[in-house]
Amino acid sequence: MFKKLIDKSAAKSPWLFHLNTGSCNGCDIEIVACLTPRYDAERFGFKLAGSPRHADILVVSGPITVQSRDRLIRTIEQTPDPKCVVSIGSCPKSGNVFKGSYGIDGPLDKYVHVDVSVAGCTPKPEAIMEGLYKAALILEKKREAMHK
Amino acid sequence: MMFPYLTTALTNLFRKPSAEPFPNPEDMGKPRYRGRISFDADKCVDCGMCIKVCAPLAITREEEEVEGGTNIKRSFNMTSCTFCAYCQDFCGTKAIQLTPDYHMVAEDPEDLITVGTTFKKKVLGKLACDIDNCIYCGLCMRSCPEQAITVDRTTKTWTVDHDKCVKCGMCITKCPKKVLSFKEAAPEGVVFSDSCVYCTLCAKKCPVGAIKVNREAKTWEIDRETCIKCGQCVTNCPKKALSMGPLE
Repeated sequence: MFKKLIDKSAAKSPWLFHLNTGSCNGCDIEIVACLTPRYDAERFGFKLAGSPRHADILVVSGPITVQSRDRLIRTIEQTPDPKCVVSIGSCPKSGNVFKGSYGIDGPLDKYVHVDVSVAGCTPKPEAIMEGLYKAALILEKKREAMHK
Repeated sequence: MMFPYLTTALTNLFRKPSAEPFPNPEDMGKPRYRGRISFDADKCVDCGMCIKVCAPLAITREEEEVEGGTNIKRSFNMTSCTFCAYCQDFCGTKAIQLTPDYHMVAEDPEDLITVGTTFKKKVLGKLACDIDNCIYCGLCMRSCPEQAITVDRTTKTWTVDHDKCVKCGMCITKCPKKVLSFKEAAPEGVVFSDSCVYCTLCAKKCPVGAIKVNREAKTWEIDRETCIKCGQCVTNCPKKALSMGPLE
């Protein structure tokens, strides 16, 4: 009975979990910049969650180092369905300049389907906002398909 | 005053929001922002410099043989690029440009790949230099992406490694004296004929001293190893006994 109401409300407030898998911190500060009043991602209901168990959208930055690989897999498993994965910058999709390094075990596509990829090194906050907005729309569709 | 913030609150009611408008697809970065790569395939001469300088290996090249030449497909992968703009800086024909377009968001990663196909005509000849008019400035050597050309100003020599040359023609466009060109196979060497009178002019004119003429014994010898095929002996022969051509 309340399912429809909950779905409607959840669509207005997708929570993010930001996962740094060996990023240089460039993309991370741009994600934080998105939440500032100038770009104001919170007007679409985006909110950084402290735990992947609370999150709907997984925001991944960094080229997946060997050290962070297991944590990445665990975080993906912990995120409840329906979830949406957004890769920020060039690193998660290809490894960027770290490509071929012994310390890298990417790309992200190896572990999970990437719904939205935002290119740039680093992307502008405006571009990240576009990516998150796209992810929110995909999430809505996924939730609809799941609860049919 | 009872409500100290009343004026601020009232003015803020009629203000535009301080947040950036969204979505704003028309918005571009600042003029020199390094965003999406644009590639003009018609300008590309396929020298391969962009691939060489690309640190994250974001540029790939595929070739396909077609009639009269080769189709070369270049792809620039935005999800692999660091946007360092080295490819733009090193491109001799300015075919690669980084645009201020930062809207690089896609569900399908294929949308983030810039592709361009260049048709490269088959070049039959080999790179040759007209040594007489060359000023040994070394511009060709510096513009060569494969470092196939060596120019030594002190000894006044110009050499090319034909195995390394990719026939991009960058040196030809950069040459200030226009002495470089793709020539059909260079003459193999100096050919001697019987009309020789053994005047020794050829030996005197030879810049490398490769020719030895003996007037008494009536012998004419050339050292093929040291001969640079400059043609000086041929132009100075009074009896036209010498010519450039294929050796037996």
